[in-house]
Amino acid sequence: MEKIQYIGETLLPGQIGQMGVLLAFVGALLSMVAYWFATQRRESTDYESWRNIGRYAFLTHGLGVFAVIGALLYSMINQLYEYQYVQAHVSEELPMKFVFSALWEGQEGSFLLWMFWHVLLGFVLLFKGKSWETSTLTVIAAIQAVLATMILGIYIGFGDEPSKFGSNPMLLLRQTIDAPIFAQADYLKLIKGNGLNPALQNYWMTIHPPTLFLGFASTAVPFAFAIAGLWTKRHTEWLKPALPWALFCGSILGIGILMGSAWAYEALNFGGFWAWDPVENTSLVPWLLIVAGVHTNLISKATGHSVRSSYIFYLLGFLLVVYSTFLTRSGVLGETSVHAFTEMGLESQLILFISVFTLAGLGLMIWRWRGIPHPKSEEHTTSKEFWMFIGTLILLFSAVLITGSTSLPVYNKIMQVFNPAFEGKVITEPVAHFNKYQLWIAVFIGYFSGFAQFLRFRENNWSKNALRFAIHLGAGLGIAGLLTYLSSLLIELHTWQYTLLTFSAYFTIVSNLDYLITHLKGKLKIAGSAFSHIGFGLMIIGIMASGVNRKIISSNAFLMDGLIAGGDEEMSKKNITLFRNVPTMMQDYLVTYKKDTLDHFTRTYTVNYQRKNKKGKLVEDFNLYPTILYDKSFTKIATSNPDTRHYVLKDVFTHISALPEVEQNFELKKQREEELKYKALNLEQGRTQLLHDTLDVENQDTVFRRTFQISLESISRNPVHHEYKPEPGDLAFSTKLKVRRSDDDSVYYANPVILLRGQLIYTYPDQIDDLSAKFKIGQDAIEKVFALDNQLKYENINLRQGDLGKWQDLKIKFTGFNKAPEHPDYSRKEGDLAVGAMLDITAPDGKTYHAEPIFLIRDQQPLNVKVEVSELGLHVRFPLLDPGKETIQLMLAKSSTPSSIPVEVATDSLPSNYIVLEAMEFPGINVFWFGTLLMMFGLGFSIWNRMSTRRSGESLA
Amino acid sequence: MKRIYLIAGIMVAIAILLFVNSGKDMTTYGSFADANSSTKKIKIVGKLAKNKPMVYDPAKDPNHFSFFIKDNNGEEQKVVLLKAKPQDFEMSEQIVVTGRMKEGVFVATDLLMKCPSKYKDEEIAIKTKQNG
Repeated sequence: MEKIQYIGETLLPGQIGQMGVLLAFVGALLSMVAYWFATQRRESTDYESWRNIGRYAFLTHGLGVFAVIGALLYSMINQLYEYQYVQAHVSEELPMKFVFSALWEGQEGSFLLWMFWHVLLGFVLLFKGKSWETSTLTVIAAIQAVLATMILGIYIGFGDEPSKFGSNPMLLLRQTIDAPIFAQADYLKLIKGNGLNPALQNYWMTIHPPTLFLGFASTAVPFAFAIAGLWTKRHTEWLKPALPWALFCGSILGIGILMGSAWAYEALNFGGFWAWDPVENTSLVPWLLIVAGVHTNLISKATGHSVRSSYIFYLLGFLLVVYSTFLTRSGVLGETSVHAFTEMGLESQLILFISVFTLAGLGLMIWRWRGIPHPKSEEHTTSKEFWMFIGTLILLFSAVLITGSTSLPVYNKIMQVFNPAFEGKVITEPVAHFNKYQLWIAVFIGYFSGFAQFLRFRENNWSKNALRFAIHLGAGLGIAGLLTYLSSLLIELHTWQYTLLTFSAYFTIVSNLDYLITHLKGKLKIAGSAFSHIGFGLMIIGIMASGVNRKIISSNAFLMDGLIAGGDEEMSKKNITLFRNVPTMMQDYLVTYKKDTLDHFTRTYTVNYQRKNKKGKLVEDFNLYPTILYDKSFTKIATSNPDTRHYVLKDVFTHISALPEVEQNFELKKQREEELKYKALNLEQGRTQLLHDTLDVENQDTVFRRTFQISLESISRNPVHHEYKPEPGDLAFSTKLKVRRSDDDSVYYANPVILLRGQLIYTYPDQIDDLSAKFKIGQDAIEKVFALDNQLKYENINLRQGDLGKWQDLKIKFTGFNKAPEHPDYSRKEGDLAVGAMLDITAPDGKTYHAEPIFLIRDQQPLNVKVEVSELGLHVRFPLLDPGKETIQLMLAKSSTPSSIPVEVATDSLPSNYIVLEAMEFPGINVFWFGTLLMMFGLGFSIWNRMSTRRSGESLA
Repeated sequence: MKRIYLIAGIMVAIAILLFVNSGKDMTTYGSFADANSSTKKIKIVGKLAKNKPMVYDPAKDPNHFSFFIKDNNGEEQKVVLLKAKPQDFEMSEQIVVTGRMKEGVFVATDLLMKCPSKYKDEEIAIKTKQNG
């Protein structure tokens, strides 16, 4: 077959990208090997040359990674759809600000993002690592080499099915998909991009992944230090440089996770900030381990105890990140997670990734175990290190429980390998399951982090400290008890377990504040731990308030008070249907769906909330604007975005959970519109007409008969309709129809509109949703209302400039001439002499209309162009101009009101005037956000102290 | 024996105890036959029976969506989900419902669907040809 010469492809970015991928992979491998030799031979003379090779190789590797990202980004910005990744993730419609989001939307892009951070962190180690440079970078380079294989995209093996290694982001579309379109040399002109998933088109997608991946990437540094310490047997020296990195990691990873939950809360409709989703869990576990590592690291530095634990925690921290990658990207989670992840044939590679680093890390640990120093003396139960260590065990405990439950699908898969008939197990109620166990973890953390602050490292004179300890402990417990009691008046604590948890949270807040004030005496530099523990306590209080006391406003009002028995089945009914402009009582709020507007693909709903106090005074009145986003074809809803009213003490959260079918799918709406069975009526003013309607009743053999009474109230030449936008020259009118149905007591009005614009007739039907009836004006009505010119009886009047003339009940003022008149029916010709008469016509109701009839001479023939003031039904001609007397002649006529108007009625239209809403109240959610942020801030804050003590050489630990 | 090892040992023991105990929170996917013989909540995997009616009329009740599922044993059963009808429901490949049998109807409080992945879309969008 002849090879096709494709037209318009830009192949250079692809070549640069491919080169970059190779450079990144080879550079990382070479760097790893060279740094390995440099570390092994650190005492010998060729150390420096090995180290230099390692350095340059790592820099080259970095260059390679930047090149791939650069080439990919370039291709995405320029929409080079010849590349598969570009075609899959951007489109013409995608705003430029989302190009980064599109970059890391896919698997390959997110691997690149991860590698990017590793490169930057590696550079810091390269320049600042000093004696740790070679050993830590061996590890980082090894990780990078493995990650680079994920984007290699090469085939290894022989035969018909060689195994694919990685997925390359720079492949051409025609290399990845076999489609007939590639038979055309100019295929590029014909294709367009798929674009970024609309649900991801928000700023969270721009900030959450980079932060989270920086957090993930930074777990590699304490891991690298731990390996380096074991490898070079510097078991105590590594602890000091590793600590700031671990603090950095804890802080950034924590913020990354928090952004995820803020995203879920603000922009998605999870109805909360934490759902114990496997994807959330697997990012929380590394954080727990790193935080545990920070604590044992502090113990080791201060006392020499717990060195082994520090090793284990930092090793596990990174390994669990890799495990998390495996879980979320291999597709093994399947139906247990709401996050969409696909299998990309990387499963075995990911398993290899975990195995290699687990074996290397834990193998080294076992090998070096005996050599790791541990003090012979035991920690005193009255010492700080003892209780801190127990605290870290609790964190580990939490990590083990979460990982265990989250790994259930993995367990199922493994069991099925041995026993194909094995039936996979699932957790029936995941949220309740996790809460039940993690509650106790939080209780213990609260107590320990409270009183351990008043214990001392290497306590050897307890009797001296005991009294002080007892006083602070007693005060802490007392105040915490009081605060718990006060809280129980504000929020529902439900069970004794929750009360205990609230108490423990208050205890740690009070104790750490106490510690901050009395012990540290405001020495901010070392206050990081106090900040973090206060943050933890506040977070728990926030969860108690907003999570446990979350109130579903939109559910049945009596449920919450336990008036209706029905258990969780009744509790799960969270939606309410709101009809447009029908105020509905929801708990304390009177809620009204006011209107909606469509702009591009986004439909914004205005939902008004009003709350009155007991005296009936309006105390709250606000609008919320939840939106829905249609997909490109307007046939389904791509995503529904909530809106939240933020108060200091609570949030009111609202999202649209369903819409009428015809509003979800515009194709369907059009189709339904065409299928409507309209019946024609000729309505005379002042006479009521009857319309009999038969209705098939579902599952019954009978038919249901209803009668409509319809009468024409009036005709308005000033039509108003939500879809009609008036333009000059329009001839339009509306009819006001009064409608009653035999089975409904109310009187309804419909105002359909008809428009003649140029030569085209437009009809704007009006719907009475409550009657499922739709009304439109018949096309013949146009002729009846806007009478034909030859049926009009014109009368003449003469006016001078400035004159105020009278005709029938109208006042007509001739204000002057317009030398350059314009009219839709008049197009200027060479040689025309045309002039417009500017008239202000005042109706009896005081309204003034402007009209400008035209008189012209074309080819020595006098002509005139008629103007119709459709609101008045007035026709004006300007047939004569007398220059001698300076007067103009006007011809005026009024069209008569027609005796009858043809109207068409359909009685089978679907109601479309409602939304299905879910609304919740989150009390005290700001305490949660503030607490979690304070916790991460405390971790980050401690880096400052560590860095400055390192510089000044003094120890404040 | 160090005290810390003792405590660690106790915690391991508690952990094992909790794991054994947490077995109660876990179930295998059941069938409608299981649901009929139990009053407990169970999870059932199945496929949407596309030829049977699907009814969701929010104007009447926004928390009532009824449809039919065929479970892995091939048994078809009417299911009522006490929530709004999920997006793309018709496109689901697999459905997991959590709930229990009540008066011949499986009343579900939770539903998870597995949809064909958005990212797997291997169709190439073709520009609509423009005239002129």
